[in-house]
Amino acid sequence: MKRVSDFAVGGTIVVVAAALVMATLWLNQTELRRRDELVALFRDVGNARVGAPLVIRGVRSGRLQSMELDDTWVRVRFSLDRDVAVPNDPVVLLNESSLFGEWQATVLEREALPRDVDVRRQIAEADAAGGDVPGATLPDIAQLTAVAGRIAGDVAALADRVDTAFDAAAARELRLSIRNFARMSTVLSEAARAQSVNLDSAATDVRIGVRSLLSAADRVRDVAARFDSSTARGEVNRIVQDAGEAARQLRQASANVLRLSGQLDTAQARLVSVLANSDSMVQGLRAGQGSLGLFLTDSSLYYQADSLLTQLRRLVADVQANPRKYLRVSVF
Amino acid sequence: MLARTIERVGRAARDAIEGLGRAGRFAAESALAVRDVRTWWPQAMPQAMELGVRSLPIGAFIAVFTGIVLALLASYSVSGAVPLYFVGTLVEKTVTMELAPVLTGLALAGRVGANIAAELGTMRVTEQIDALETLAYDSRSYLVVPRVLAGTIMFPVVVAVAMLIGVGSGWLASVALLDMSSPEFVKGLRLFFSAFDVRYGLIKAASFGAAVTFVGCFVGINAAGGARGVGRAATRAVVLAATLILVLDAFWAVVLLTGREPL
Repeated sequence: MKRVSDFAVGGTIVVVAAALVMATLWLNQTELRRRDELVALFRDVGNARVGAPLVIRGVRSGRLQSMELDDTWVRVRFSLDRDVAVPNDPVVLLNESSLFGEWQATVLEREALPRDVDVRRQIAEADAAGGDVPGATLPDIAQLTAVAGRIAGDVAALADRVDTAFDAAAARELRLSIRNFARMSTVLSEAARAQSVNLDSAATDVRIGVRSLLSAADRVRDVAARFDSSTARGEVNRIVQDAGEAARQLRQASANVLRLSGQLDTAQARLVSVLANSDSMVQGLRAGQGSLGLFLTDSSLYYQADSLLTQLRRLVADVQANPRKYLRVSVF
Repeated sequence: MLARTIERVGRAARDAIEGLGRAGRFAAESALAVRDVRTWWPQAMPQAMELGVRSLPIGAFIAVFTGIVLALLASYSVSGAVPLYFVGTLVEKTVTMELAPVLTGLALAGRVGANIAAELGTMRVTEQIDALETLAYDSRSYLVVPRVLAGTIMFPVVVAVAMLIGVGSGWLASVALLDMSSPEFVKGLRLFFSAFDVRYGLIKAASFGAAVTFVGCFVGINAAGGARGVGRAATRAVVLAATLILVLDAFWAVVLLTGREPL
C-alpha cells in the first residue's frame, strides 16, 4: 500500500510537472533545436517583445529570439524557421501588426523599403554602424494617434477662426454677393447675346461694305481706263478748263450767298426787333393797357360794342327803311 | 450596560489575540518539528496520495467547466470589440493566474480542510493524540508536518492539472462552440503568454495548500466537545481556509503583480 502511494504520488508529480513544462515551452515557443539566426540592429524596438513573429513577404518565418541593449543600439536576434531563405540585401522593419499592441518584424529587400524619410534615415544609420542587418522601427498607433490628434486640434482651431470670421453677417453678404454675381452673369450673357446679334449685323454690313468697295474698285478701274482713253484724245485740258470755270462760278456764287446771308442777318435782326415789339405789345394787350388791351380784357366793353353794333345795324335798317325820317332833302 | 459592552469587546479582542498567539505557537512548533524527518516522512506519501492525487478528479472537473464557461464568456464579452483570438488570451490568463488556483483551492478547502479537521478532531476527542504523545510521539511531527508538506506540494500539482485542463477545455469549447479556428485560439494563447503566469498560479497554489492544511490541522487538534466539537471544527476549518485563500490571493496579487512591467 505504501509503495503504491509512493508510485502514485511520484508519478503524478512527474507527469504533471512534465506536462506543465512542455506546455510552457510550447506556449513560449521556446526553440530546443538550434536554428538559423538573423541579427538586426535597431535604434529603438518600440513595443516589440520576445516571441514576436518574423514575417517574410507576409509568411511567418521565424520569431524574435532575444534583444540585447547596447550603448546606442538594440541588437535583436531572430530565429528563422527551417528552409527559409532570407531576401538578398535584407533590412528588417519592426511594426505593429494590429491595433492591439501586437508587433512583428518584417524582412524585406532594401529596394522594397517604403519611401519614408525617417525609415531610410534609420536604415542608413544602422548601415553606418555596420556588422548586422540594418533595422528600422515604424511609428506605432499611439504615435500616429498623437500626430492625428495634433492635426485634429489644428483643424479645430482653424474651424474656430473660420467660424469667427464667417459670422451671420458675412454669410448674408456672401449670399448677396452670389446673388449679385448671378444677376451680373445674366446681364452679361444677355449683353453678349445682343452683342453677338450686333456683331452679326456688323459682319453683314462689313460684308456689304466690302462688296461695295469691290464694286467701287471696279468703277475706279473703269474710270481709270476711261481716264487713260481720254488723255489720249486731249479731253483732259477741256475738262480742266471746265473745272476752272466751274470753280470761278462757285466762288461767285459763294460770294453772293455770303452777301445774301449778311442781308439775312440784317433782316433777322429786324425781325427780332419786330418780334420783340410785338411781344411787348402783346404783353401790354394782355395786361389790359391801351384801348385795344382794354377791349381785349374788359368784357363789358365788348358787350357794349356789340350792343352798339346791334343798334347801328338797327339804325341802318331803319334808315334804309325810312330814309325820309332821317334825310330831309329840300331844294329850297 | 456600557461597562458590559466594553468588557465584551475586550474579551473578543483577547480571544482573537489568544487565537493568533496559539496559532503562532502551533506554527512555530510545527516548523521545528520538520527536523524530525524520520517521524513525518513515512506519513507524507499517504497524505500526498490522499490530499493530492485523490483530489485530482475534483480539480479536473472544476477546470473543465471553468474553461468552457470562460471561453464562452470571453467571446460574449469581447466579440465585436477586439479580434476573437483574444478569447485564447483571456482563457489562458484567467485560468492560469486566477481561476485554477482559487477555485481548486476553495474546492480543496472543503474536501481537504474539512477532512483533516474532522480526522484530527476525532483523534483529539477520542484521546488518540494524547495517547501518541504519551508514547513520546511528537504530534506535530507525526500529524501536522506530513499533512502541511503534502498539501503544499500537492496543491500546485492539482492546480497545474486544472490549468492544463481548463485551457484545454476552453480551447475545445472555442473551436467547437465558437466560430474560431484552432490556430486562432493558439495565437491568442501565445500572444501574451509568459512563464510568470504559471509561476504565479503555482506559488498561489502552494500557499493555499499550506494554509488549508495548516488551518485543518490547527482547528482539528484544538477541537473539543465530542462529536459536536468535531463537526464545529470541520466547519470552522472550511470557513477559515476559504477566507485565508481569498486573503492570500489578494496578498500575492499585491506582492507579485504590483509594479510589474506589463507585457
